[in-house]
Amino acid sequence: MSADEPAETFESVDWDETGSRFSTLSRRDRGAIASLALVAAAFGYDYHLLSADRPTLTWPIRWNVTQLDWLFIVTLLALLFYVAVPLYSNRRLTAHYWAEFRKNSLAVVSLVYLAAVFLVGVVGPIFLSKPQLALAQSHQPPVYTAVNAAVPVNCLGDVASGMCHGTWAHPLGTTSDGKDVLVLVVYGMQVSMKVGLISTLLVVTIGTTVGTVAAYAGGLVDEVLMRYVDVQLVFPAFFLYLLLNYLFGGSLFMFIVIFGLTGWGSMARLVRSEALQRSEEAYITAADSAGAGTLYVIRRHLVPNVSNSVITAATLLIPGFILFEAALSFLSLGDPTVPSWGQVIAAGRSDLGTAWWVSTLPGLFLFTTILAFNFVGDALRDALDPRQET
Amino acid sequence: MTRPILDVHELRKHYPVTEGVLRKEVGRVRAVDGVSFTVDRGETVGLVGESGCGKSTAATSLLRLEKPTGGRVVFDGEDVTGYDDRELKRFRRRAQMIFQDPTSSFDPRMSVGEAVAEPLRVHGMRDRNRRRAIVGDLLDRVGLDAADFDRYPHEFSGGQKQRIALARALVINPDLVVADEPVSALDVSVQADILRLIERVQSEFGLALLVISHDMGVVREICDRVAVMYLGEIVETGPTEEIFEDPRHPYTEALLGSTPIADPRRRGQGTVLTGDVPSPSDPPPGCRFHTRCPAVIPPDDYDVSSATWRAVLDLRLRVETEGIDLEAVEEYVTERGEAGPDAVTEAIREEFDVPPELPDATAERALSSALDAVVAGDREAAVERLAAAFPTVCRQRRPGFRLQGRDLDADQWTAIRSLRTWLAAQCNDDPQSVAALLAERESAGRRSADRSSDRRRQEDAGTPAERRRRVREAFGVPDRLPDGDAERAVASALDSLLSEDYEAAAATLYDAFDPLRAAACHLEADAPRDAPGDD
Repeated sequence: MSADEPAETFESVDWDETGSRFSTLSRRDRGAIASLALVAAAFGYDYHLLSADRPTLTWPIRWNVTQLDWLFIVTLLALLFYVAVPLYSNRRLTAHYWAEFRKNSLAVVSLVYLAAVFLVGVVGPIFLSKPQLALAQSHQPPVYTAVNAAVPVNCLGDVASGMCHGTWAHPLGTTSDGKDVLVLVVYGMQVSMKVGLISTLLVVTIGTTVGTVAAYAGGLVDEVLMRYVDVQLVFPAFFLYLLLNYLFGGSLFMFIVIFGLTGWGSMARLVRSEALQRSEEAYITAADSAGAGTLYVIRRHLVPNVSNSVITAATLLIPGFILFEAALSFLSLGDPTVPSWGQVIAAGRSDLGTAWWVSTLPGLFLFTTILAFNFVGDALRDALDPRQET
Repeated sequence: MTRPILDVHELRKHYPVTEGVLRKEVGRVRAVDGVSFTVDRGETVGLVGESGCGKSTAATSLLRLEKPTGGRVVFDGEDVTGYDDRELKRFRRRAQMIFQDPTSSFDPRMSVGEAVAEPLRVHGMRDRNRRRAIVGDLLDRVGLDAADFDRYPHEFSGGQKQRIALARALVINPDLVVADEPVSALDVSVQADILRLIERVQSEFGLALLVISHDMGVVREICDRVAVMYLGEIVETGPTEEIFEDPRHPYTEALLGSTPIADPRRRGQGTVLTGDVPSPSDPPPGCRFHTRCPAVIPPDDYDVSSATWRAVLDLRLRVETEGIDLEAVEEYVTERGEAGPDAVTEAIREEFDVPPELPDATAERALSSALDAVVAGDREAAVERLAAAFPTVCRQRRPGFRLQGRDLDADQWTAIRSLRTWLAAQCNDDPQSVAALLAERESAGRRSADRSSDRRRQEDAGTPAERRRRVREAFGVPDRLPDGDAERAVASALDSLLSEDYEAAAATLYDAFDPLRAAACHLEADAPRDAPGDD
């Protein structure tokens, strides 16, 4: 506003100009919707126009984007628009939360570790080619360690006094198939991130939507939604997965979709109880009396105000999904084409006496990742606890 | 004076009490049960009453934040209760609300600027910079800083938050603001600031303001007129000064007596209410205040003081509702070293402040026989005897609302009001012919109405005299009102109506009756006191 031009005041507004309901969308919402539309268009192009075996991208890298990759892209976009952007635009609030969060130094270390796992998991597989079968270099020990020279078929490192020493060519050693364990671990990171983040995104989105709508609409809508949740909570998703696994073979996409789409019941309950409390607050009535519609109130007031509980619950959901996927893979119920940690652990199990690193190292990563998520979740709960806010 | 911006007529809001899976209704909480008042443009009207009397429910249902169970709310010539979603949204722009608790009325996750701009946004102002400019200017004008736009609610004090709440209510330039206990959550020092700000803003923008409060001091400070509520009903309305100087309803008197007076000579003169507020799910029959009223009316043939009568009635009501805990009384009596039924009845009398012997012999006989029944454990007989011996008009009949200085009974006044509200609701609608409206009104009255005869009546509207008669009949207004002024006003309104000038018709009726005081009490009806201003 320039100083010489009189500022507009509320009396001078001509209220005959009417706005559409979309005008209540924030810039962030519009950005999210636009990017989602772009992704959808790209997906449509890939799915309908390109044949399945032609790669979607040939430059800068050759990348045939799978269904799971599309879902992961959507998840990353959601994280960008609804976690990163708000954190950036409400810097003072972010600083406040960060000050609370950093009181727990273990959680800060965990967060750094998780960030590293996330980045390596997302970027790494683009630059590392998929581990190939190479029987000639099987059972190489990790660097700085040595095993009996009889264990590897062909020791690539130095052999001294009957011991085969590891080399930097395979820092974490190789499996019995000669696959590089480090590459497997990096691929496993991506699998774990996909499993954890996509399923959690599905759970959080559906759970929050159902929970807030049920709480705010009340009456019959509430009754129908919550009774459906009751039914879904007793539905044995695991057996559905087993059945589909038997019929169509295991796939990571199926795992994520099945457990993401059936696992939101308790999230919806949690959100509903929180939202019920919030919807009694006077600011909701104030929004009503301003003429705001149901969608607006849910989006702008209820969802932001239940987000603390949702985020805390989500950070504890992610490790659950990762662990579950690892367990299923370990039992060979997972996707055989995907190098997940559980699968590598299972593969190395029989050789544990001779080649200890095959199972142990991916297991260590699985263990630390789960632990880190739990630490971060605890610290987030302490930092975001709405009961401490005034 | 002209047509008021808001006319609330017989507003009702009942909450069903349900039971079981099928949600069978087993009772209703009559939170608001027939509330009527008007608010003029630029006027401040106070709605006062104790906590739980339904003031806030009246506010939320007249703003259609909750759907009223019955009654009409006419806002600027249109009936709000019949609005659909689109009309409701338009109405929301013109009527705003301020809440009691400034802390919970702001979303902790939204900056105050966004919160104030929310109504703008909801009503379709897309331009962020424009919203920012308007809100900044408004924050300035309510005594804050435009730079506060990006701060969060927890960074402000209660008083500042209430200023922001006022800004949020003003930002879409409403015609009516309902303030629900606007200052009761604030420090006394801040209260005065906020009240001054409200007054200033109101006179600056010509707002109509409905202030809901339990604090008589606040009401006296800013209100032009007052409506006193008790248990879902309005018991008295009138200009603030007159009500404060000369309360007509015993409840108003008691409310005024409950405010501290900074004058030691007048201390302790206020009447003190006994008993609890009855539950709105089971309101007392007759006058709802009779269970606590210090001036409850004794039958003519008894010669007892009002205090004694109150005490006897308290005793009667207690026996009827909860009964008397005989064991406790007997224990108390033995502790004092006495025994026997006489000692027990004495103790009961003492407990209820009933004198050991009533001055009136008939009353005394009835009371002692009833007390004997109580002591004998025969509660039903006691109830019966007390009810037969101590009737009160306050319990038998519901007192109607009576205007001061007009010779109208309560029914006639209600009839005139319903005609008036109906006229007001036609003012902004598409003009329909009187005949069509009448037919509508009449068929609404008779559900089994024969359609064809309706149409015939519509066409055959008859002579002007006939039509006048039919209007009166439709609303239950007698052909000749006993009061001259009232009759003249109604007749002139009917003339305007027949020439299809609803505006003038409604205005005539409002002008003729609105500045008057009214109270709903049997004391008023049976023994009219002097008209206001005659002392």
